[in-house]
Amino acid sequence: MQEDTLATVDTLTQTYSDKWSGTTGVEEANAFVQLMSSNELIYVVLGVTLIIWFVLLFFLFRVDQKVSRLEEEIKSQ
Amino acid sequence: MKPWKYVISAWMTLVITGGFLINIPDIPILEQTARNLFFHVPMWTTMFSMFLISFWFSIKYLNNFEREADIKASSAASVGMVFGICGLLTGSLWARFTWGSWWTFAEPKMNLAALAMMIYVAYFVLRSAFDDEEKRAKLSAVYNIFAVTTIPFLLYVVPRKLTSLHPGADGNPAFSEITSPELRYILYPAMIGFIAFAYWIYTIIRRYKTVQYNIHNS
Repeated sequence: MQEDTLATVDTLTQTYSDKWSGTTGVEEANAFVQLMSSNELIYVVLGVTLIIWFVLLFFLFRVDQKVSRLEEEIKSQ
Repeated sequence: MKPWKYVISAWMTLVITGGFLINIPDIPILEQTARNLFFHVPMWTTMFSMFLISFWFSIKYLNNFEREADIKASSAASVGMVFGICGLLTGSLWARFTWGSWWTFAEPKMNLAALAMMIYVAYFVLRSAFDDEEKRAKLSAVYNIFAVTTIPFLLYVVPRKLTSLHPGADGNPAFSEITSPELRYILYPAMIGFIAFAYWIYTIIRRYKTVQYNIHNS
């Protein structure tokens, strides 16, 4: 895949290959884990992005509701 | 909660997922960063859409002098700024790994985009300079009409004529001629989605400012 460019020197593997078990044993794992482990782990990046998106969305919904409540309070005065 | 907000949430979730997962053409140098097209480019269309909303309400304010129009204009401008900042930051990151530099002064679109942002920074500086609300609203509306007219020139017209690292400049084929159709299946929905999402944020800011205004004047 990525080789011979300065930016892609892999210093991690050497240090962590003993400690990180990566996606070994995927064959026995459930379908979700198998899917997430496929395609060079792009689904994991998607997962991280979607978590951020959903948290921000949740926050936006809450702010929206809070403003609605304030509006009603002012209207009722 | 209004149903269109759920529609936007679902729509944008699909756009993000699609943006990560569709098969994209093999483009050297860009490689997987070609997917940035779905996220970086809509920042600018969204910014411009918000500035157009702002422009519209500034004109409206000068016609009827109603405070509501001024609140709407400034809210839309602030949301536009947020998306513009996202556009600059994402563009800079993308540039580092494809053009080889975080920022280059040889790139007109990049620098003129930064200039466009500064023109809008001046809008907010101008607003903060007045204590008298009527004066603030009037002058910032007039300034905003000037500010928004610079945007198409700074972002589209002038860079199109100069040597640029961005695709679709210097008499090169325009974007519509060089972008493969697969990318557009996500790009156009992304533009629509981000604009709608920005509009939602704009409504929240506008309502917040209205509440604030009512509290201060009661």
